[in-house]
Amino acid sequence: MRLGHGTADERTNGKWERLLAAAQHGDAVAYRTFLKEIIPFVRTIARRRCWSPDMVEDVVQDVLLTVHRVRHTYQPERPVEPWLAAIVVRRSIDATRKRGRIGGQEVYNEAAYETFADPDAKDPLDGDISRTLARMTKGLPRGQKEAIELVKIKEMSLAEASLASGQSIPSLKVNIHRAMKKLRHNLVEDPPE
Amino acid sequence: MTRTETLIDQLAADVRPVRPLRAPALRATLALAAIGLIAGLAVALLGDVDGLRQRYAGRETLLALEMVAMLATAMLAVVAAFFVSIPGGSRRWLAVPIPSFAVWLMLSGLGCYYNLIGDGGGEGHAGESADCLLFIAATSAVLAPLLIWRLAQARPIDPLPVALLGGLGVAATSAFVLQFFHPFAVTFVDLAVHLAAILIVVAAMGLINRRILAPA
Repeated sequence: MRLGHGTADERTNGKWERLLAAAQHGDAVAYRTFLKEIIPFVRTIARRRCWSPDMVEDVVQDVLLTVHRVRHTYQPERPVEPWLAAIVVRRSIDATRKRGRIGGQEVYNEAAYETFADPDAKDPLDGDISRTLARMTKGLPRGQKEAIELVKIKEMSLAEASLASGQSIPSLKVNIHRAMKKLRHNLVEDPPE
Repeated sequence: MTRTETLIDQLAADVRPVRPLRAPALRATLALAAIGLIAGLAVALLGDVDGLRQRYAGRETLLALEMVAMLATAMLAVVAAFFVSIPGGSRRWLAVPIPSFAVWLMLSGLGCYYNLIGDGGGEGHAGESADCLLFIAATSAVLAPLLIWRLAQARPIDPLPVALLGGLGVAATSAFVLQFFHPFAVTFVDLAVHLAAILIVVAAMGLINRRILAPA
């Protein structure tokens, strides 16, 4: 795949290949440099397939997480560009499909993500609330429970939660949405004492 | 600092040495060797090679070609699964096992036709055809975990085609092994049952692709 003038390999003179190979050996500095340098390349491909800027940024973050998980599949000496482009295309397709599914079947409501009106009530150290939450989330599927705990209780960002859980950012969003729906239902059926 | 920059810092802080996966061709060869060893042992210890020869007496060339097509389908599907599991692997690998699969079906159909005009169709095996289905499903269930384990090491970013190709690989291997256990000449009904069993294995692998292949 060509972007601008020449392939990435020609533009970077094999620098990405060297950086990623070093990252496979655990070189954090090389890895950070690699991840920073690939952002424009990733963003360019993502923009071709995603229609909104926030979706592009979601894909960029998802690609970074995916690169982290599959960096062992890169074979040293081979060009990084096709390997990376395949990841970006795949994640863009996933994001587009998920966005389409969610848009077609579910209504996004930012306010619904709020657990309680009082911010102090979200303090995980609060004994009563913590116990109540634990009881309420007990019946949730593992992925939904994990998403709620990381994002809503521990107040991690989606990217942090994705890194901690292994779930992609779109999956986390979907799991949170579904868990909240289920929790609301449970609250009506079986209100806490 | 943006969220993306924060994420990069977190990922860089989390980086650990990883051993790069070996070339897909080499990994496929090793997996095929292991599958071949298990299948070979089963045939050597329990298979009825003489019965197979008798069933195809006078049609040895057809038997050989059919077996080669079956084996080629199994091997090419497994090799393709390994190539597709790696980011950047060509999608053309998806089509690689199709020609040998088509040849296999054609030759099997030809064998059934010869049986039909030779002994009147070999009726009376309707109940036993179900055993063939169970054999292919059970043998696939034995062979699949080994292949899945090796394929999952790549954490495929698009697991569905990997699972489908893997399913075809183990199902075709099972059908190949079945030839050494088949108690009677294959009829059109048997062929349809064999095909149904292969489709069931492939579909099952496709349905559970995300659970078994640990996609990234």
